[in-house]
Amino acid sequence: MLNVAVVGIGKMGLLHAGIMNALQGVRLCAIVDTSKFLLGFAQSLKQEVEIYEDFQKMLDQSKPDAAVLATPVFLHVPMANACLQRGIPFFLEKPLSLTSREAEALVAGVEKRGLTTMVGYMMRYVETFAKAKQLLQSGALGELITFQATIYVSQLFKTGKGWRYNKQESGGGVVIGQATHLIDLLRWYFGPVSRVSAHTRNWYSREVEDFAHAHFEFASGLTGWFDSSWSVRHHRLLEVSLTVHAANGNLIVCDDYVKLYLDKAAAGFPAGWTNFMKPDLFEGVEIDLGGPQYTRQDSAFVAAVKNGTRLESDVRNAYEVQRIVDAIYASAAGHGAPVSL
Amino acid sequence: MIDKIILGHNQFFGVNHLEAQAGNEREAYFSEAARIMEIVNFSFDQGVRGMMMSTHERAFVVAGEIQKDARLQRELGIYLLVPYVAKYIKQANEKGLVNIVKDALSGTSLQDKLGMFWRGGMGLLTRDFKKILTAMIDFEVAPFASLNLRAIFLHDVMTDLALGWEVPEVFQLYAEHVQGKYGAIPAFCTKNLGRLMRLLGRAGIDNPLIMASINKLGYQVNPSRAAFEQTLREHRLQLLAMSTLAAGYLKPGEAYEYLFSLPNIAAVVVGVSKKTHARETFSIIRHYQSAGKPREPLPAATHEMLA
Repeated sequence: MLNVAVVGIGKMGLLHAGIMNALQGVRLCAIVDTSKFLLGFAQSLKQEVEIYEDFQKMLDQSKPDAAVLATPVFLHVPMANACLQRGIPFFLEKPLSLTSREAEALVAGVEKRGLTTMVGYMMRYVETFAKAKQLLQSGALGELITFQATIYVSQLFKTGKGWRYNKQESGGGVVIGQATHLIDLLRWYFGPVSRVSAHTRNWYSREVEDFAHAHFEFASGLTGWFDSSWSVRHHRLLEVSLTVHAANGNLIVCDDYVKLYLDKAAAGFPAGWTNFMKPDLFEGVEIDLGGPQYTRQDSAFVAAVKNGTRLESDVRNAYEVQRIVDAIYASAAGHGAPVSL
Repeated sequence: MIDKIILGHNQFFGVNHLEAQAGNEREAYFSEAARIMEIVNFSFDQGVRGMMMSTHERAFVVAGEIQKDARLQRELGIYLLVPYVAKYIKQANEKGLVNIVKDALSGTSLQDKLGMFWRGGMGLLTRDFKKILTAMIDFEVAPFASLNLRAIFLHDVMTDLALGWEVPEVFQLYAEHVQGKYGAIPAFCTKNLGRLMRLLGRAGIDNPLIMASINKLGYQVNPSRAAFEQTLREHRLQLLAMSTLAAGYLKPGEAYEYLFSLPNIAAVVVGVSKKTHARETFSIIRHYQSAGKPREPLPAATHEMLA
């Protein structure tokens, strides 16, 4: 039985706690929050779980086998370090840190100790985006030339409250808070980024950006751009869309489908369109709580902790995503001047 | 006894489980309440006496329109889905969970009492979490309370959260409150039917009304179609089937033939956005729903649709 503690029981913490509690071979042993209200509520629902206001005290007294850290970004690195010092594997809600520099020592420490970690870039576990990875890897498209990508949601149309809109606590706005999902996918698909140039715009928020547009050059030679915002209309849910143009065709992927078009048959795919709709790709999960991707992700983390293995979506990966975020902010501050990584 | 066909509402509010873009376009079309009411009235004339409604802002307008029409208010059974989770997820991103509860309850009589929670310790809160849950339900139901509420469904995100946390008390509390205060059937929406049936058993809730996705493709059916079918065979429940066409992926004929071959299917919720589509869909459903009895011949247009 794997004893898991959940730290921070806001929206994501509630969700991970529910999934962890439901997974076979896992026990939700402790929860931590500074809000007496949330803690009291959680305790009243689940009397056998230990509750703590103090994170360090929980680690020392409850001694969990793994921790889920779902706290505001400024707490991520200090909390992850506390887990590292005690050799406790951790799952960290994305993003990794306020800046990449802040996380350097943590990443080095995790790698030195060989600790299992995961950062919550869950798009990899959405059926369509996972399928797109396979199609890109198949080589059917030939050399990749350029891409365009968007990540939008209708979320914020007035000044927001809370830590996400406070740069000290969040590290930034829509880029770090949301577009990092897309940046992670782009890195996963296309490899290391060598250079970015970017523009951002604050409109509803005072301290952080609500709109961002960035151009990327990858080490492979591929170039392309993304556009992101949490303040665009007509996007009820967070929607990611990516089109890749290549020598032998193109690929379109979004939350709902993957469409591959090939000039000539290749890698077992015929010429013309090959479409995969989400229902084609769906596979059930042990428990679906807010979307099967979260369960697949938490299951992968649990399995890696039990086996003591590394995950692709670990703190090193998240650190590389964070370096791109830093470059986007640096470039935007210089009115789009290119920044090399 | 619940209505056998229930008009869905997702299509009016831009929910499309196959293509978000199409959903967004449809949302723009139905931004005028009159267009929604045209479909509601047409469906009613086709004999559909049940309508699903979430507590989406646009639904307040639709609720107002239904109230203006004595016939609809009296005879159209409303199957309400609470809470409107997408709204709270956005609010949680924006201001955090504590502020959501504070804001939702501001102006209610509970606010003064709750003031103590934020000032005081956890002991008080622990004793009173039931009050918070029931006050939140009342807050959500209030704009619809004067309609003919036949059942009130707990949204799958909430049901499944209570399921994941494994707290049968939430289901007991919900059922007692919905039945006692609104005289409606307490019902649950879930993505995890088997697990829910086991927990409802522990909560002492017998023969529940449950809304869940079920289709021949197994889309959004957890942990698998086979396990879902087994739950239907082995438990006493009334299933309101949703996503029966797997987000428009299956042809109605094969979809409903499969669906009504299963036990315990009490009703089906179906989203239609055009009159011709509505007429044909209702007739196909009725055709397969009456399996076992002599079936009425399908109209020619329906044959075309099934082909």
